[in-house]
Amino acid sequence: MSQAWLLGQRALREGARSPEALLPTLFIPLFFLAVNVGQAAEIFPSSSTDFLNGQGYGAFQLPSSLLLAASFGTAALFLVEEIEGGYFDKLRAAPVSRTAIVAGRLIAEAVKGVLIAVAIVVLGLIFGITIASGLVGFLLLVGLTALWAVVFTGFMQLIALKTRSAAATNSAGLVFFPLLFLTPNFVPRDLLTRPMEIAATLNPVTYVMEALRSLVLEDLDWGTILPGFAVVAVLGVIVIALNVRVINTYD
Amino acid sequence: MNEIAPAIEAAALVKHYPSSKNGNIEAVRGVDLRVESGEVFGFLGPNGAGKSTTVKMLTTLLTITSGSARVAGVDVADDPDDVRRRIGVALQEAGLDPRQTGRELLVLQARLFGFSASDAAKRTDELLQLVELDDAADRHIKGYSGGMKRRLDLASALVHEPDVLFLDEPTTGLDPVSRLTVWDEVRRINARGTTVFLTTQYLEEADQLCDRLAIIDDGRIVRQGRPAELKAGLRERLDLDHEPTLDDVFMDATGRSRSRVAGDVQEVAA
Repeated sequence: MSQAWLLGQRALREGARSPEALLPTLFIPLFFLAVNVGQAAEIFPSSSTDFLNGQGYGAFQLPSSLLLAASFGTAALFLVEEIEGGYFDKLRAAPVSRTAIVAGRLIAEAVKGVLIAVAIVVLGLIFGITIASGLVGFLLLVGLTALWAVVFTGFMQLIALKTRSAAATNSAGLVFFPLLFLTPNFVPRDLLTRPMEIAATLNPVTYVMEALRSLVLEDLDWGTILPGFAVVAVLGVIVIALNVRVINTYD
Repeated sequence: MNEIAPAIEAAALVKHYPSSKNGNIEAVRGVDLRVESGEVFGFLGPNGAGKSTTVKMLTTLLTITSGSARVAGVDVADDPDDVRRRIGVALQEAGLDPRQTGRELLVLQARLFGFSASDAAKRTDELLQLVELDDAADRHIKGYSGGMKRRLDLASALVHEPDVLFLDEPTTGLDPVSRLTVWDEVRRINARGTTVFLTTQYLEEADQLCDRLAIIDDGRIVRQGRPAELKAGLRERLDLDHEPTLDDVFMDATGRSRSRVAGDVQEVAA
């Protein structure tokens, strides 16, 4: 069994044994979903809002909640604990591939991302949201959310490895909020003001959100789905390469 | 006649850290060491003398600025992974994962060293018995006492039966009973043929356990030899009318007075 998977299993046990760290990743996105729908559902009634494709505003907001749930990066904070506690050095003093050390936590993050995405989507289904792209779309929705979790945790892990500081790592996580609010979060991109539309177009998170939203509201539209997967693929390669580089030169 | 390679050999070992305020910090300034196979070798020094930095270079955790080091016959800079296969490391402050159980930690360590699942489980049982933690094996490590954590850390360093075991201040913060238990473990491990490189602040500990020792101060080795030889040398040099203790040797070597040492090094009788 590969070292990365062994370390991934350990990170999964760690997550399961820290429900206090895991529960907010489910609760807070659902809270924002409820609040956003409560505030804007009256403005965008499904009967007269074309971009909802006949669904309620909750369906439009679901991707924001999925992205938020996948952007907590708690694994990076566990990594800082491990650096401070000395177990990270214990692993580095063993003949363990440096890539496996960073990949282990990311594998676990992908698994957690799948579980959290399934939980949120199932809750959405219970409250009347439908996945217009069917079973394949559901799988793509969950998969893309999990991949985004890997990308964002990879970014946080990079900060953790560079700074070795819980405070700095935590602060770095807040970068997600400006990125989230510079997406077509409340309305489609073509309804944004021009400056916001430009900002959203330059923001890679936009393409992930639009891919997720397309999977919820439309049949499989590969022209929108593929750019989302391309963004996570490119960002994923970059953050993993940087993680490997930093851990290889860690002193 | 075949000469047995030393367990550890360091020549002119230097470590500089970049510092935004002071340019370069010279933590280790040219350390020469030779530890024979099968020895318990003590490495003493006041806080900040360069002990942990030296250990981290020898255990591949820090890069070497200049000089060279061979551990178990392997060059540390050229083949760090091979060195890692041959050494066991228990660093200052037991480096454990508090959310795992003792058993899970040891099984994972064994798997990372390439054991099959069944061999890892078997080796884990042996080690848990060795360090007398079989009853606590399935409890989370965060509930362990300081002594139990040290023993588990020792066990995890022994999973793969290393040639050389590095123990960095293994008894710091332990109560006297736990300290004695760790001493017994060190003796038992050494009796099985493992070379032990022991960093300690406790002079009594070094006197009890070590065949030979080195004292490092300000990044340089200032004394090296057998405890009895070092004491005899001091007695002869200062023409003392009593047998000096190892803390006399330490203070002479580091130029410290008792009052200054009080904050740096403690002598503790277990």
